[in-house]
Amino acid sequence: MEKYTLIVTEKPDAAQRIAEALDVKGKPRKVEEKGVPYFMANRDQPLVVVPALGHLYTVVHERGGRNYYPVFNFRWAPRHLAEKGAKQIRMWIEVFSRLATDATGFVDACDYDIEGSLIGYSILKYACQDKDDVAKRMKYSTLTKAELEKAYDEPLPKLDYSLIEAGRTRHEVDWLYGVNISRALTLAANRWSGKYATLSTGRVQGPTLRFLVARERAIHTYVPTPYWSLLTQVEIQGKTYEVDHEKKTIETKTEADTIIENCRGKKGTIEKIEEKRFQLSPPIPFDLGALQSEAYSLFGYTPRRTGGIAERLYLSALISYPRTSSQKLPPAINYKAILSGLSRDRNYSPLTSELLRTEELKPREGAKEDPAHPAVYPTGNLPERVLDESERRVWDLIVRRFMAVFGEPALKQSMRATININGHHFYLRGRRILKEGWTRFYKPYIRSEEVTLPPIKEGETVQLKQITREDKFTKPPPRYNPASLLKRMEEESIGTKATRADIIETLYSRKYITEERIVVTDLGFDIIEVLRKHAPNVISVELTRQLEQRMDKIQNNSEKRENVLYEAVNQLKPVLDRLKQSESTIGEALSNAIKRARMQERIVGDCPSCGTGKLMILYSRRTKKRFIGCTNYFKNSCKTSFPLPQRGTVKPIGRPCKGCGWPMIFVRSKGRRPWNLCFNPSCPAKEERRKRLEMQALQQRNQK
Amino acid sequence: MKCRLCSRETKNESKYCELHDKAYANIAKKFEMWKKASGVSWEEYLNELVKNPFTGVWAKEVAEQLLKEKE
Repeated sequence: MEKYTLIVTEKPDAAQRIAEALDVKGKPRKVEEKGVPYFMANRDQPLVVVPALGHLYTVVHERGGRNYYPVFNFRWAPRHLAEKGAKQIRMWIEVFSRLATDATGFVDACDYDIEGSLIGYSILKYACQDKDDVAKRMKYSTLTKAELEKAYDEPLPKLDYSLIEAGRTRHEVDWLYGVNISRALTLAANRWSGKYATLSTGRVQGPTLRFLVARERAIHTYVPTPYWSLLTQVEIQGKTYEVDHEKKTIETKTEADTIIENCRGKKGTIEKIEEKRFQLSPPIPFDLGALQSEAYSLFGYTPRRTGGIAERLYLSALISYPRTSSQKLPPAINYKAILSGLSRDRNYSPLTSELLRTEELKPREGAKEDPAHPAVYPTGNLPERVLDESERRVWDLIVRRFMAVFGEPALKQSMRATININGHHFYLRGRRILKEGWTRFYKPYIRSEEVTLPPIKEGETVQLKQITREDKFTKPPPRYNPASLLKRMEEESIGTKATRADIIETLYSRKYITEERIVVTDLGFDIIEVLRKHAPNVISVELTRQLEQRMDKIQNNSEKRENVLYEAVNQLKPVLDRLKQSESTIGEALSNAIKRARMQERIVGDCPSCGTGKLMILYSRRTKKRFIGCTNYFKNSCKTSFPLPQRGTVKPIGRPCKGCGWPMIFVRSKGRRPWNLCFNPSCPAKEERRKRLEMQALQQRNQK
Repeated sequence: MKCRLCSRETKNESKYCELHDKAYANIAKKFEMWKKASGVSWEEYLNELVKNPFTGVWAKEVAEQLLKEKE
């Protein structure tokens, strides 16, 4: 085979795009070796573009064994040696190694950020036998042909070692924290109860769970305070309008009643009419966090889902690299070319042509910068494939936000008429839009309702139509949702744009939290309780942030990996000593928490017979068979029980049966489709189904 | 000693664990505001808290316990 340049990419989709962009004919040849696809292209020389599968290498313990800590010796090793579900990684490494032997040049074309740089580096270093020294680096923010060609023709002469070092350090520090603390917790529980259950926490996971626990405590200990407000309506020129009392909240019932008493049956006078004009500046471009937040509030997508959608749009060359913290759009991205590209879509053409007519296109930008990438923007390409609903929505959002940042400020007017009713002031409010400005480009993602006021004059008399008291209570602080939690993590500077959404998902998968409006489980509570007592540094936001800042400094060449690792180990040592000393106390607390959590998982719902007990999945001591029974059975006050299928797995679904309202369970067994089961023997839905089947059988017999 | 309302340990001679103790402190602190706002007695106040949908679970448990003790 002829000599060639080996181009390392991050994922198969990216490899295909890069190969298509660099091949002179735009048609690279796809080859598959040991199940690994790669692409052969021709340009100034033959190119072999090979994808990775994300990280092929990971941090592992120097020696084996899982049941001890502390462990501070680690090395980088192929992922298939460390992770059970990563068998295919062996093939990918073998293919990289074989292709590297005949290659004369090496290019790292992974995404230009910490993770991408580390993926490329570890493949070139380990799979390609120390080719990191000779490799060049392609730097690009979109997978468009023009940008990829430029990145290939003008590569960075060597790998971006500061990003690589920052990435290595982050993985190593996270490994040190994760492995040691998780082992300490798991082993403590295991040694106390003799039962194994994985308990994990991480450097960022712990402080994040701590925010949630703090909020949960505030909600659970909350005592509301009463307050009152007035619901008031006046009649002006034959039409009814709602007006607000000057005090939004009235602290005592007596005061509220006095106002009502004073005003009832009285007429009011318009004392003053005030008008205010204000500008609404255009929004700033999306960084990843802002995109995730907006997609959650508009479409209800979790940050992780939005991250995944944005990644797919990037791989389809529809948007720029989404894992960015930048809020800047440099002119180099060529605003006009992007808008011209978008104008080929008739949904956007009226808006893009309006922007293209302006003399100078200047985006409104935010303060945050990212040295690697600009803010998220559309490339100007139109979809080459049919986008699914979620992709279409996120792409549209990004396109409209991009247009909106170039818009003029919107101009609004607010009006307030002060009405005096027997010495009490009430406000009649109105608002209208004088100039739409940027809001035109961001529709339907911005709603601005107009409230038109009647033509009124100062001194005019109005009739009070209704005034009533509303009894209200202060509310507890709101629960976090995935988007607001992500925002909090950003504000506290813990985690990175690439890891935050995954950390939230881990908290769900570990069963430390549940539900969309996040509720901390007992297990989550107890983990934080144990760490707060015995290892407060591990959940300290301040210490986590400090470590983050030092790791960021590595990226700017102002800190060294060795120093950060040394400090991490020094921070961990006393923490682990303390955990070891208190192992039995911790073990007891965690074992009880696990036991409670497992019991909780088996609770199906309230007992419909006694009303006070809970129905649970139980096992007969005599027959070992499972069934549903009431917890009051153990108090000898309820003997309700129902049979369960004995094969496969069953678990409560937490949703009542539509037919009878009883709790339902989910059954999954081998060779059958999973199904939801209502265990109420006299469920009307079951009766209907039985009758329907009987009727069908009868009809079939008659036909025969 | 165990908390009167859950299996957690109590602290500093308190009847409650740290979490229920915090709820108790909030109940005691807010009573004056309730009294001023709507002129309720301590017992009426506790009954209101038990019924109120915004009262936290632990605060509700403490209020119920206080009412039981009064009986």
